Amino acid sequence: MKAALRSLFVVLMIAVMAAAVGCSSKQAKSDAPATDDDAKRRAEEEALRQRQLEEQRRREAAALAAAKEEIGRMIHFDFDKYDLKPEARSVLQAKAQVLKQYSNLKVVVEGHCDERGTEEYNLALGEKRAKSAYEFLVLMGIQGSRLSTVSYGKAKPLDPAKNEAAYAKNRRCEFKVGM
Amino acid sequence: MKRNLFSLCCMLAVLLGTALPLAAQTSMSVDIYGPGQRQLNIAQATPVPLAEGQPLPAIAASLNDRIGHNLVYMPFLKQMWENDVLGGLTVDKPTADGIDFKRFQLSRVDLVLTAGWEPRGAEAGDVELRAYEALSGQLLIGKAYSDVRPMHVAEVADRFCAELMRVLTGQGEFFLSEIGYSKKEGENRNIYAVRSTGHSTRRLTNLDGIATAESFSFDGRSMVFTHIGRTTHSLGVWNEAEGTKLVRLKGSAVIGPTYLPDGQIAVTLNLTGNPGIYLLDRDFNVVRPLAEGWGINVSPSFDASGDKMVFTSSRAGNPHIFQMNTRTGEISRITFEGKYNTNPSISPDGRLLTYARLTPEGQRIWMRDLATGAERQISYGPGDDEDPSFAPDGYYVAFASSRTGQWKVYLTTRHGDPAIPVDTGSGEAMSPAWNYKR
Repeated sequence: MKAALRSLFVVLMIAVMAAAVGCSSKQAKSDAPATDDDAKRRAEEEALRQRQLEEQRRREAAALAAAKEEIGRMIHFDFDKYDLKPEARSVLQAKAQVLKQYSNLKVVVEGHCDERGTEEYNLALGEKRAKSAYEFLVLMGIQGSRLSTVSYGKAKPLDPAKNEAAYAKNRRCEFKVGM
Repeated sequence: MKRNLFSLCCMLAVLLGTALPLAAQTSMSVDIYGPGQRQLNIAQATPVPLAEGQPLPAIAASLNDRIGHNLVYMPFLKQMWENDVLGGLTVDKPTADGIDFKRFQLSRVDLVLTAGWEPRGAEAGDVELRAYEALSGQLLIGKAYSDVRPMHVAEVADRFCAELMRVLTGQGEFFLSEIGYSKKEGENRNIYAVRSTGHSTRRLTNLDGIATAESFSFDGRSMVFTHIGRTTHSLGVWNEAEGTKLVRLKGSAVIGPTYLPDGQIAVTLNLTGNPGIYLLDRDFNVVRPLAEGWGINVSPSFDASGDKMVFTSSRAGNPHIFQMNTRTGEISRITFEGKYNTNPSISPDGRLLTYARLTPEGQRIWMRDLATGAERQISYGPGDDEDPSFAPDGYYVAFASSRTGQWKVYLTTRHGDPAIPVDTGSGEAMSPAWNYKR
């Protein structure tokens, strides 16, 4: 009985080995014509992956640019004021959402004034404006360590014209994004 | 060369030793601090050689012109020209025995200036400068300068005019002093200094960013200023020996640092959420708050004792000028008129206050008597006039103005005399500060 089982096992092993050899010889036979197709397929897959990566890179760059544009949107103030107007709060809320999405971004809040009034007082007023924006963003959950403030007073007007429209543009906070 | 020149200046007393004693006795004195400033007629005689027949060096005319330029800074003097004086501005000799004082008296001249030259080569010469009282023929000042060359002309004119002003008014340091200013250079601004009469400009800082709102120490050796970088303010510190350094202070704002007479510094910082004025020691550590609280507190200015500080504060809503007794801490409001009064500067004696007020026509400079409360406008634009700064003599006031379409530095007096531009070269210049020779 034992001998019969051993013989059966040997036969089976031979059969399995023969089948394996047969498959490998078939494979060896089919390898030569398949190389070009595989290379082509791999190249196509690689190109597809590159296109997808490029597309992803573009999407992310566009999203980052949009995020930076959102963060960079200025807010404006009334003459000799540093309190945030309702529209400024909306702008800052949107900024805060974006900053939460992009936690690697840091922001310098610049305070600016119009040309009326004197240099030192306007430096202090610009400081107050920058701090108003800073504090609002912190209240919205943005870490203070990601934000810094600097006042330029009236040293960097956007519009040098001497009229109320220009003054209104110049009374602002700018938001400069960095990593 | 400079040493020779200066040593010769010091030898004046030897050459013309009676000048100062005579000056003390003269009736030709002007109270530049009084309400009705007296005006004297002054005639500048054409230069003559010291010895008959000698040629005049070429720089004789240059020095004459430069002294004439300097006389403009003394609004209590009215220059008399060739046609104003009977027989013109000629004298036979630079000394009393060569001056026909009667011609000058008849022409209502009060003071006669003479210049006597001895040539030294083609371009140099020794010069004796004198000022006479026309009525009495009395010598008020005599100064001799040796080996004067073209490069010395402005300096000699300043030194002589310093003496002239000192004899007439008791003050003359203006002519030996500098005015610092912040000059625009593309996106940057740096601090320069120029002699009050507009020569010998020197650059004090060379930084990226904005350097402004400077203040010189009372000994003139150091200067502090606001530096605005890309992400923060710093305290800028300059001195002759070590050059410039930037000191980071607590908080994000460093605005308008100002030296006190004892060498400490008052500066606006934002330590509490509101810009307040703090006292720093000589190592730039915060010693104590001077004026803080709600709103903005900025632009401290001190009298010569350091006991009185004036500053701008928005604690009452709009920006106004306040005064603080630095010993007691008591604060009182000074300005009630107008809605926007800033940039105060107090006279060294603590009696007068000058400041900028926003009017419908733009910023204008005002002067206020702190004892009586009387105030009056002393600048009239056009454009904006701001940043008034009392000279340590309490007479001159420097300020910045955009009257030509470009910011420049100008001089006036406590009486509001016509503004004289300070030669700061090309480019915008603002934030004037005095570096006085004491």
